[in-house]
Amino acid sequence: MFVLPPPPRYPTGYPGAPGTGPLIETNNTLTHPTGPDHQLVVGEGTYILREDLQLATPPPHPSEAPIHNPNPLATTLSPPSSGTKLSLVVLAPRQPSYSRLYKLDTTNSTRSQVPPSIQESPHETNSTASDVGSYSTSGVAPSPLEGQQAPAFGEGNPALSVMIGKDVKDPLKRRKPKSNIVKSNSSFVSRVIPHEALSKRLQEHNPNGLFAFANVNRALQWLDLSSPTKEEHMTKVLFTKAHALCHDINQVTKGPNHMDLVLGFSTGDIIWYEPMSQKYARMNKNGVINASAVSDIRWLPNSENLFLASHMDGSLIVYDKEKEDALFVAEEQSPAAEAGLNEKEQKASLVIKKSVNSKNQKTNPVSYWKVSNSKINAFAFSPDGRHFATVSEDGSFRIIDFLKEQLLHLYTSYYGGMMCVCWSPDGRYIVTGGQDDLVSIWALEDSMLVARCQGHNSWVTAVAFDPWRCDERNYRIGSVGEDCRLLLWDFSVGMLHRPRAASVRQRGSIASATLKVQRSRTEGSTTRLRSNSNLTTGSVLDEEEVVHAVEPRARTAMLPPVMAKSVDEHPLCWLGFEEDCIITSCNNGHIRTWDRPKEGAGSDKDDSTSASMSMSMSMSASVNLSVGASNNA
Amino acid sequence: MTSFFGRFKAGASPTSPASNNTAAKKDPNAPQPTPLEKLLADAGPIRGDGSDKFFGFENFGSTCYCNSIIQCLYYSVPFREQVINFPFRSPPEALERPTNTTLPRLNTDLLPISNGPNSVLSAKGRNSMSSPTAVSPRKPVINPGATTNPQGIKPEDNKDSPEYKKKQAIAAGPVLTMDYENSKAYGMSESLFASLKDIFEAIIANSSRIGVVSPTRFLEILRRENEMFRTPMHQDAHEFLNLLLNEVVENVEHFSRQRLKEIGDSDSNGLTINSGAVVPDQKSTNSSHNTGWVHELFEGTLTSETRCLTCENTSQRDEAFLDLSVDLDQHSSVTSCLRKFSEEEMLCERNKFHCDNCGGLQEAEKRMKIKRLPKILALHLKRFKYTEDLQRLQKLFHRVVYPYYLRLFNTTDDAEDPDRLYELYAVVVHIGGGPYHGHYVSIIKTQDRGWLLFDDEMVEPVDKAYVRNFFGGENVLACAYVLFYQETTYEAMQKEQEAEGLAAERASAQNEEPIATSPKQNGTTNGHAGHAGHAPHPLQNTTTPLAEIDDQWASLNHAATAPLPVPDQNGLGHVVTSIPILNAKKSNMAFRQEKAEKAREEKERKAAEKELEKQAKQKRKEIENIRRENYRKQDEELKVALAASRATATEEQKQRRKVPVAEAESEKQVEKSKEKENGLAKGGSLSRFRHSSMSLRHKPSFWPGAKEKHDEPKELEQEGSAPPSRETTDGTPAGPPDKPEKSKNRFSLGRKKSTFHL
Repeated sequence: MFVLPPPPRYPTGYPGAPGTGPLIETNNTLTHPTGPDHQLVVGEGTYILREDLQLATPPPHPSEAPIHNPNPLATTLSPPSSGTKLSLVVLAPRQPSYSRLYKLDTTNSTRSQVPPSIQESPHETNSTASDVGSYSTSGVAPSPLEGQQAPAFGEGNPALSVMIGKDVKDPLKRRKPKSNIVKSNSSFVSRVIPHEALSKRLQEHNPNGLFAFANVNRALQWLDLSSPTKEEHMTKVLFTKAHALCHDINQVTKGPNHMDLVLGFSTGDIIWYEPMSQKYARMNKNGVINASAVSDIRWLPNSENLFLASHMDGSLIVYDKEKEDALFVAEEQSPAAEAGLNEKEQKASLVIKKSVNSKNQKTNPVSYWKVSNSKINAFAFSPDGRHFATVSEDGSFRIIDFLKEQLLHLYTSYYGGMMCVCWSPDGRYIVTGGQDDLVSIWALEDSMLVARCQGHNSWVTAVAFDPWRCDERNYRIGSVGEDCRLLLWDFSVGMLHRPRAASVRQRGSIASATLKVQRSRTEGSTTRLRSNSNLTTGSVLDEEEVVHAVEPRARTAMLPPVMAKSVDEHPLCWLGFEEDCIITSCNNGHIRTWDRPKEGAGSDKDDSTSASMSMSMSMSASVNLSVGASNNA
Repeated sequence: MTSFFGRFKAGASPTSPASNNTAAKKDPNAPQPTPLEKLLADAGPIRGDGSDKFFGFENFGSTCYCNSIIQCLYYSVPFREQVINFPFRSPPEALERPTNTTLPRLNTDLLPISNGPNSVLSAKGRNSMSSPTAVSPRKPVINPGATTNPQGIKPEDNKDSPEYKKKQAIAAGPVLTMDYENSKAYGMSESLFASLKDIFEAIIANSSRIGVVSPTRFLEILRRENEMFRTPMHQDAHEFLNLLLNEVVENVEHFSRQRLKEIGDSDSNGLTINSGAVVPDQKSTNSSHNTGWVHELFEGTLTSETRCLTCENTSQRDEAFLDLSVDLDQHSSVTSCLRKFSEEEMLCERNKFHCDNCGGLQEAEKRMKIKRLPKILALHLKRFKYTEDLQRLQKLFHRVVYPYYLRLFNTTDDAEDPDRLYELYAVVVHIGGGPYHGHYVSIIKTQDRGWLLFDDEMVEPVDKAYVRNFFGGENVLACAYVLFYQETTYEAMQKEQEAEGLAAERASAQNEEPIATSPKQNGTTNGHAGHAGHAPHPLQNTTTPLAEIDDQWASLNHAATAPLPVPDQNGLGHVVTSIPILNAKKSNMAFRQEKAEKAREEKERKAAEKELEKQAKQKRKEIENIRRENYRKQDEELKVALAASRATATEEQKQRRKVPVAEAESEKQVEKSKEKENGLAKGGSLSRFRHSSMSLRHKPSFWPGAKEKHDEPKELEQEGSAPPSRETTDGTPAGPPDKPEKSKNRFSLGRKKSTFHL
């Protein structure tokens, strides 16, 4: 085991800049541990730890000096916090190489190998021909044109398009936020520490190099991961007491002189920050729109202004970075208040508190949805920009068509809360991780659980697809967890093998199965889902299509990892795949970069996958399995 | 959330505890209601099943191991029911008896109609309860006002310290001194079980919802019969749990055997010992109790498969367990610990396996899987590990996360209901640096009052998220030691989550009101209003009328204010000092600068406040209108809803969403109906337990407390007595018949496991 002396967390000396109080800041440290402990051996070769960058945890704000509580049973509630997460951006406009890789393959591939039960995903931007009829759940067969480009959010609303149109006049000049963060006298921002040679470093920055934004405690650091002095931050922003829990960079508006970053805070506040000009704007000030913490935040696909934030009270809110706050009062009566809908139906629908089609679009929020009363832990947009998936603390997992403002599917974890979610690059599969220590793979077309991946020794905190190792049949998934480990999974459509379908005797621990095939026949299970089915209105989708029961273990394929390795001493919380590396980060601020195997060094990718395909078993087994399920109903 | 604490704390800087006492100074004779009292302020009539009784347990010097475990068992609904009803529930007269001696009891009515919630629960009402006649004579009455002595601040003077709260709890009473014997009333002889039953019955019979139990008799018996617990030293809570469960089994069986003899059945074959459970003779209908209820609740079956590596022969052996002891790894989860528990293990070298097939010691592979899942899964995290180097036990501070819900991966292929869903309902927490000292408390989910912290005499409501504070980790002294998971259903889980979510939503809705109407206060909070999902007492909130909300927040404040550095009374003091202090000590200069900064911030804040106030005034008007409109609408809807809700009970359940913003008047109505629903819902979710509880089923009708649904035909007994397969009566076939050897070592596993680490 490599043990490095940890940098002093709160050393004495070094008085802070004048006027900002006695803040003591430490510097980030960069180390290069080597040895077999810092290598990941996989089929395609060996990933080697390039470096370990530890972000310095800032000292507490003087006004927030924590009272050390000797009582271990103190019932003080601590505000929500999160480990270090990263937002990565490359300024140069780049066509992600992986998109060519898998998309070309998908369109050119002979489809004979794919079992007929799997239809080509409608979410795949290039494959429009096979779309027809595959998307019956939404009731609308997408037109061929839609496959190319998803319509903009709120396209049909003239109230919104006015605002959007504003920027069209001068498309090259990006609008910046109003206030200067360095000169700000807001009590929200405690201090901003730009690098002494910030402008010089910006000039020297390789446009193809990675910029990263990372939160650690109450600080946000802007890092240049391609710089030789990457441990020196570009800018460090310290907030007074709020912790940034999540952040995202707008990939549409980024440019050599512009980056739009949104940050969600433990206080519910949201900040739009443009780091190049050091300008910022604060939204949802004092929780005027929603007072609960922001658990995840992302720019809407292909949108310059709109972003979606998930709040911990189960709300999903679309904000416009340009708009002012207004005290939010629910505009539309939630269907819950209508006497006709029972609990199950409420659950199976999305409560729209403010629709994107609302006429009142002068102020934020643009739209306001409530998915449940449980904390949303994360969400992710589908690659085609039509859907997003949310995962919640109550173990629910939803797929929402946000253009239509409709809940499409509601699944439940095996047990415990779900913590992370990610779409496959082609949009066919969704992967979730949670407190059942499992990585679960869900197929969108079949609206079913494809496999559970067992291998983590604790909760799974982040999952991601490795787009560079995905093609039309094979997928590489990475996951990190509280067990400090990184696991890699190779999942291929054909390789799934299911457990012996042991005679499953159930006693209600799992709600009666509602598999798609079975649903059409067995009335028994559907009546359980909705007691007064005749009240279902046209706007609400059929619940039997929406709510899906937990799959028993005996019917679900189990997938073992292809690699499992402890990569940090602290629980991990974030994972990212880049063209040349894997990046992990942990709760304590370590960012570790793992170089991909050098070309030719490892065996070819095909070796690993062909072996797995040989033991293939068709995915169409799902039909057989559902027959077994009907026995239980 | 902090914003609210901040508001209440405003002016009372934590460094000046004197200011904390301002409330007491103003009116020294009116003690502040405790958080628990506030939680229970809206409670309706006391239920007869004991589910809404919240008694602390007095600590007689390191008896916290006993207190914490008993609390966990009490709040297991099926266990409590069985204890109360075996062999039958004591008639109220029997409980009346000790009142003449020492037991302080004013009113033993099971359902005190005369006692409105106010008289029972308000501080004054409680004081009158603990008036001299009511308080146990050997307990000095401590006047809460009198404790504020001018000279020096003792730990217990700090109102937020557990010591103070514990003292207050005893002072407030009622104190149930369990130094009497009631076992004759139900025909048992003195035993740990009888003593436990006495405690449970006394708690339920008492007319107060809160109080303190003084389990003197129980400890007396425990210490008399078990040398191990005789010393006043720190004991192992898991050890005690195991002993208690085994003891209860033994007592119950012993009683049944005696009963059989008394009945004078000459047929010696009438007594069959079946896997520890006595199955009574067909004729002896009087004692037709299923004595195996402890087994039914806590017992599961492990199958150990051993594969001889020489002859490839696999032998199987079933073992019963009452709890599972799992080894811990750093940064792992309970799920993973359980999986490790069932991982293959090599038997080699000194630990070879004696193979019957090839004869002699051979290398073998062994793995243990769960064949029959218990209804209550008691998980013992082996935090005390023997280290060779130090030649003694050491506490492992590993971070082990545990989810609120659990399923087991390590079941056998032929296991019954392998996907059974468990919910976490109790956590026993060990606080301390090592196995030989420290303190135990338990955090328990109650039927409809959310999670409560039971720390000896003190009972305090806590947030659901609080349960997650005890995963462990570096420098974390308080870690979960025993986890109690109970069987539940998917539907029950959803229902509960719905309720919790509603409560959280309601709480946040309440929060927004003050924010909107009092911008001044909002300003002081620096916008730190992140609170959603932290409803103080989720389940309770669902029944809280609007008017109570403020109180609730106050109560939370009370609970949340950080105690000052205080030496712990429970022998923890020396442990506490070893906590590395992470925040750097501030120099004087730093303090001055801090002050300056604070002043500056104050200014900023005030400016912001003014601005906000202006804005808010306008907004308020707008909102007022909107809200009025909304209220009107909602009121209408509510009426519709109410009409609909009367239709069916299930419908009612679903209407709950509408209640939050309703007017107080109509709220009450809804509340009543909700109360009903709650009962119904709970009954529903727990009916499985009732169903399968043999002792309830076979209760002879002439015994008081028997319920009509238990007049099941007697055929079941006969059926049960014939083969040695014990069936759970809910129709699920039990596993293969137990092997004869099994009855011998039926608890060996539990014991073996526990002795492992001591």
